[in-house]
Amino acid sequence: MEERNSTEETPRNNALAQRRSKSYRQSMRSCVEATHLAYTSGLLTALRIPRSRKAPKSCDITKQVDPDQVALLVKKEWQLSYVTPLYQFRHTQLKSYSKQLSAFIVSEKQQGLAIEVGQELGFKVNFSVVLGLAETDKDAETVFIQILSKQAFSAKDDAQKVVWSGWLTCVNGDLDYLRSLPLEFVSLPLFCTRGPESLTVLVKSWFEKTFDCCFGPLGINSTNLQWLASLWTGCHPTINIQYLKLVWTLPTLPPMDVTYTVHPQDAWELWDSMRQVDTTEDSISIDEVTGFIKGLQSHFFRHFRIDLSAGSLMQISTALGSSHHSGKIKIASPNYIPTILQLLTECALLKMPI
Amino acid sequence: MSLLKPFSKLPGLNTANILLVENEEQFQQKLADTVVLQEKTVNVNVLARSLPLPMENEESRPRIDLVVFIIHLTSELSFQSAETSLKYLDPGYFQGKVCFLVTNARNVSVPPERLVSVRKLAASLHCPLLCAEDQTTEGVTTAAHRLLAILKVAAGLVPMATGLYLSTLTRCTVPSDIDQQNFE
Repeated sequence: MEERNSTEETPRNNALAQRRSKSYRQSMRSCVEATHLAYTSGLLTALRIPRSRKAPKSCDITKQVDPDQVALLVKKEWQLSYVTPLYQFRHTQLKSYSKQLSAFIVSEKQQGLAIEVGQELGFKVNFSVVLGLAETDKDAETVFIQILSKQAFSAKDDAQKVVWSGWLTCVNGDLDYLRSLPLEFVSLPLFCTRGPESLTVLVKSWFEKTFDCCFGPLGINSTNLQWLASLWTGCHPTINIQYLKLVWTLPTLPPMDVTYTVHPQDAWELWDSMRQVDTTEDSISIDEVTGFIKGLQSHFFRHFRIDLSAGSLMQISTALGSSHHSGKIKIASPNYIPTILQLLTECALLKMPI
Repeated sequence: MSLLKPFSKLPGLNTANILLVENEEQFQQKLADTVVLQEKTVNVNVLARSLPLPMENEESRPRIDLVVFIIHLTSELSFQSAETSLKYLDPGYFQGKVCFLVTNARNVSVPPERLVSVRKLAASLHCPLLCAEDQTTEGVTTAAHRLLAILKVAAGLVPMATGLYLSTLTRCTVPSDIDQQNFE
């Protein structure tokens, strides 16, 4: 593929190289798409890996979002997936969606089982909207789904308990992409789930049937884990992070896991020294992040003679939250939810095969 | 500082020598064995972890026709080690006698920025960039086959083709759109 593209682009004549004709641009754009072999990006998703981000500000999210709903989101570990835009998803029809989904789950669960009279397999589904998380007017409102069910062998009057919960969200999504979507589509690219895998699979298949979308696993690669580590360390002055823990996996035989815990004050001083002179500026650049992680790695090397850059970063955690490479995230503090969700929304949008 | 020079020794008859530089030392041996099996005129392979090569066997070492840097995208160290090794190559090598081989390019856990930076490095040096799959035998055989094609030209065994000519056709290019990715 590379050979073919280079023979087209190498100019035989210097004068031709100056001409930026439309076909040249199109062939260059297809070359950009071909570089990212993990997923195909279409013309609508211009591939952008952000090189700088805004520093997270502590905001009292309870001003924008109902505190009970915030409590539903924090302090729980969520498994992440990405989802392509939903066709004709209406925020006004949530009640009917609840009924349809509960009927679907009940019918799927009863497949192949002998139906016993009197046994209640009743699943009740609750769709609700979490207002206030969306940052721009192009973001769709977050939708929260809960599945309640009676436990087996519970007494007749016991209330139903939540067995599965999940939410679809879009926070500060890429504006060009959102504007380019046709009107019938709603984009909520980040899907967080918690609960038994069997129910997750059922919910996903119902969504796929009803809204013609695709789900896929969302991993958090090492660059994004480094971003999260730096953003959380940067919050140390306002809220004590208590520790910064990083877990690496080294490709030795047998594979070795290294857990590296840093005292928060030391981590913050290292991060502060990495921040460029203009700390009044709001944005953090990728160079500062890589410098911070390199500083931690070289300190480790000096003491243990193990070069952590030969391995891969698997997990980071602080008192503000933790995040794992396989796509698990836990947000412990409600103050920084918008920043974390924005980062995860970006990951989901970049991962989508559209 | 000892630079590896391309033309300081005499070539052998019907031989071509390839140097595989890899920090992790896992893929080189398999690749070397497969290259030797595929073609009878390739006599010698030289394996190294990083440049500069040791001074002790400077005299007994044959003339190196092609230097291949194997970079595993799963670790940052692999890329950095390849970058530092580049300094020990004489500039004469960069006219068709250097090649970059990258593994795990399709791996989901690899951040895309790493492949972009390897591409930029290869493009700035006008060298070809090959992607290989090192876990299966077919992958190793395919990679060996491609390297052999470039090696034969670099060693002068293909009439009417030189390394410099081939490198203008196969060199890695990075469209300038990639540099304009961050619009903020």
